[in-house]
Amino acid sequence: MNTSAVINSAIRFVVLLVAQVFIFNQVAWGWGGKDYLFVFVYPLFLAMLPLRTPRPLVILLAFLLGLSVDFFSETLGLHAGALTFTAYARPLLLQFVQPRDGYNIKANPTIADLGSGWMYSYLALILVVHLLVFFLLQTFSIFFLVDIVLKTLLSFPASILVMVILVLIFNPKA
Amino acid sequence: MGRLLRLIINSGGLFTFAILELLCLYLIVHHNDGQRAIWLETKSVYGSFLTEKINEKLAFLDVARENEVLRRENAALLARIPGSEYDTRIDTASVTDSAFQQRFTYLASRIVNKSPYGPYNTLIIDRGSNLQVERGQGVVTDGGLLGIVSEVTPRHARVISILHLDTRISAGLDNNAFGTLRWDGKDPRRVTITDMPDYIPVAPNDTVFTTGYSNVFPTGLPIGTVESSDPLPGTGSQNLTVVLLNDPLTAANGYVVRDLFKEELDRLNRVR
Repeated sequence: MNTSAVINSAIRFVVLLVAQVFIFNQVAWGWGGKDYLFVFVYPLFLAMLPLRTPRPLVILLAFLLGLSVDFFSETLGLHAGALTFTAYARPLLLQFVQPRDGYNIKANPTIADLGSGWMYSYLALILVVHLLVFFLLQTFSIFFLVDIVLKTLLSFPASILVMVILVLIFNPKA
Repeated sequence: MGRLLRLIINSGGLFTFAILELLCLYLIVHHNDGQRAIWLETKSVYGSFLTEKINEKLAFLDVARENEVLRRENAALLARIPGSEYDTRIDTASVTDSAFQQRFTYLASRIVNKSPYGPYNTLIIDRGSNLQVERGQGVVTDGGLLGIVSEVTPRHARVISILHLDTRISAGLDNNAFGTLRWDGKDPRRVTITDMPDYIPVAPNDTVFTTGYSNVFPTGLPIGTVESSDPLPGTGSQNLTVVLLNDPLTAANGYVVRDLFKEELDRLNRVR
């Protein structure tokens, strides 16, 4: 991990935290007194961490970001638990979308390094896992499976749209 | 700490993940009302079932403790069997007579322990120093002698049987001739009287009595009958073989003889 990657990650940590807490947490849509549509942008931080970051460090950073979001959302442990799990699952997801000739050791998960098609499917995988785990923790019971799936189906398009737009706008190199 | 860090890093993140995820679950359950309600409900539904299953599987781990409890209970029950009790009732015979002052008292006792038969027989009675049993007191039994007290504890006393190679008891005949009664360690039914002067006429079936000269036994208690006399040439004495009236080996009761004048007589004996 070189210096620019560290700085970029730090900036993303703060910016995505602020954006999530002060902007996207206000966006919630649902019916019957329950919210079904949420917008998540902070998994982008996890997705954009350099590929060579040690796995324990990835998990720890994810936990810290999730906990920070939790502090502002009054849902202590929810975002942290979901993002920690997603961080643990990230290498598996990376294997899932591995290019035919494998990853370049120095590659960053960016459009510039690995292409836009790869980037979209990768972000989608990360987001789906995160949403499923998050809503599972939110309902805290497998008996609400319909709710979990419904929330994921509704939240996924909105979140992936925002994340892709952010990636396209800033188009980070590291 | 360094080793711990290395372990965490080497475990490929599983360790970190597990710890942080558990921490998250803890936070969720303790800081979110809905999740806590669900958790408590789940716990009450599955918890008792799980506890029951686990206890079923682990029941054998308790066996040692159970065994200890049962052993204690067994000990408590055994202690209540009549044979295991120490009889605290005092059974002393004495006679009140204005003309005769009491000299010897008899304390009833049970024999609780006997050494295996051998040349040095001893036995234990269940009366001790709490009831003034002292070293040197004689013990008689139904129809004969039993032995002499040698060791005393508060509740018990050890008795050297007359069937003991070291026993020496003063014994005599009706005509006041006396000798020393000892056992040769061979026949538990026969004892020997030595140091009896050879001019004393002895006939078979003469009765042998205690003399009372040693303040151990009262005077005139029958011990046995003479079977044969055996003069020892050149020593001026004869040995008498005596058949005991009783069988000390099978005795179950003993009466400790207490000489109330012992102190006074001892004082006289000290003056030479």
